[in-house]
Amino acid sequence: MNDARIVEAILFASDAPLSPGEIARADESLDEDRVEAALASLKAEYDDAGHAFELREVADGVQLMTRPEFAPYLERFDTVPRSSRLSGPALEALAIVAYRQPISRIEVEYVRGVNSTGVIRTLVERELIAGVGRGEGVGRPVLYGTTLKFMEHFGFPSMEHLPRPEELPVILRERAPLAARPEAPDEEGQGDETPALDDEAALAAVLAHADQRPESPE
Amino acid sequence: MTGDGLLVVETDRFHGPLDLLLHLIRTQDIDIFDIPIARITRQFLEAIEVLADTSVDEAGEFLEMAAVLVRIKARMLLPAPAGEEDHDPRADLVHRLLEYEMIREVAARLRAAEDDRGRRFEKGFVQPRPRPGAAEVPLEVTWEDLWAAALRVEAPVDRNLDHRVAARRVALREKVGLIVETVRRTRRIDFASLVAPWRERIHGVMTLLAGLELGRRRVVSLRQREHFSPLWFYGGRNLDDGFGEMVPGVAPGADEVVGRGVSASGAQTDTLGVDEGAP
Repeated sequence: MNDARIVEAILFASDAPLSPGEIARADESLDEDRVEAALASLKAEYDDAGHAFELREVADGVQLMTRPEFAPYLERFDTVPRSSRLSGPALEALAIVAYRQPISRIEVEYVRGVNSTGVIRTLVERELIAGVGRGEGVGRPVLYGTTLKFMEHFGFPSMEHLPRPEELPVILRERAPLAARPEAPDEEGQGDETPALDDEAALAAVLAHADQRPESPE
Repeated sequence: MTGDGLLVVETDRFHGPLDLLLHLIRTQDIDIFDIPIARITRQFLEAIEVLADTSVDEAGEFLEMAAVLVRIKARMLLPAPAGEEDHDPRADLVHRLLEYEMIREVAARLRAAEDDRGRRFEKGFVQPRPRPGAAEVPLEVTWEDLWAAALRVEAPVDRNLDHRVAARRVALREKVGLIVETVRRTRRIDFASLVAPWRERIHGVMTLLAGLELGRRRVVSLRQREHFSPLWFYGGRNLDDGFGEMVPGVAPGADEVVGRGVSASGAQTDTLGVDEGAP
């Protein structure tokens, strides 16, 4: 029996991603290398023949999925509940966990600047993140990390396929250049010689000396 | 609400104070490494004024940020503490803002990936057609059938589930005699009545074997209207041919014969030719 056909049979019968190692269990003659080779030939075969489905690498495995252009037809059958889209705050928290894992809820909240208890709970309930350990410090806080389901939800072949920080338009620069700048009070503060203010007085002073020249947002 | 006449800020839209602050900075083309703290602070405070009426928790996070901004401004007005001369009081905030902005960008990428994944469907998405369940099979028995069946149900007899191989304690001949004698007297008898006096299963087995042998020899005829209905014994063509003497008139439990064909009145046994060991 042709390796590719065996692998195809297994992929066809599965509704979840399978790793090459799992597929290789199908026959003593198979190993991961042969499965990989069979997968490559299947992938090419599906692409060349213009099948409605394709071989996708997802969550450290492979899975047969329909091509996106068929979505409008399939969506008419939308009777099985699918995982719904995440909210903006949930995506933010998830992004933080993905890049900083393992990370505690408090640290997530610091990065976001807002309480994230509910969002973290939602992500745990949806099994996109899970407790992976305990941190040091008071109360030994739970540390969270992303799960296999995280990769499935977003269709990432592996964690290496997350966008890398250097690919992102905003680069988290070192603080050094900023700290090395000459102490440059901003323009509004230039004429302000007032010494020793508490916060409240500072606020009044700030507001009083605020820039009166509106700048165009564009 | 309007800030300095140009800025329209709805705090609901923002995921938090960092989001709002970043919005103020980015929409006004402000150099994030040289934030005009006074202006931003004022705009920030104006934007969050409406929050005072809403959720305390949410407002608290914005107010905390306002306090941070004010503190930074105050620090900038003051001479730097010894040893921190080249530390910009805005550095920590800038770091947080850049970090948050990166996270926001990642979130946008995740959203795009999520949307793309949502347009691909795996096996099992289209729901199977409902299959006919067991409930849809028409019931082929009547209520009377069911009631009759219920009446036949008896409490299970306690039995020892160990399998023991032992010689029969009930003689076939005994059962042959019982059937013949009963049928002679009553013309017909049902199987249940024949085994009713005994509790042990072996009596049922031996009675059935006896009945079958007698049926084969046309001493009795066996009738049953349908499966699982009562089995009746009627007199057969040979009922009166030489079986009269063999009826021992045994009572339950009495004269139990162990083993095969051991009997004092052996002639009939031979005539019958039944080997108890070979059903």
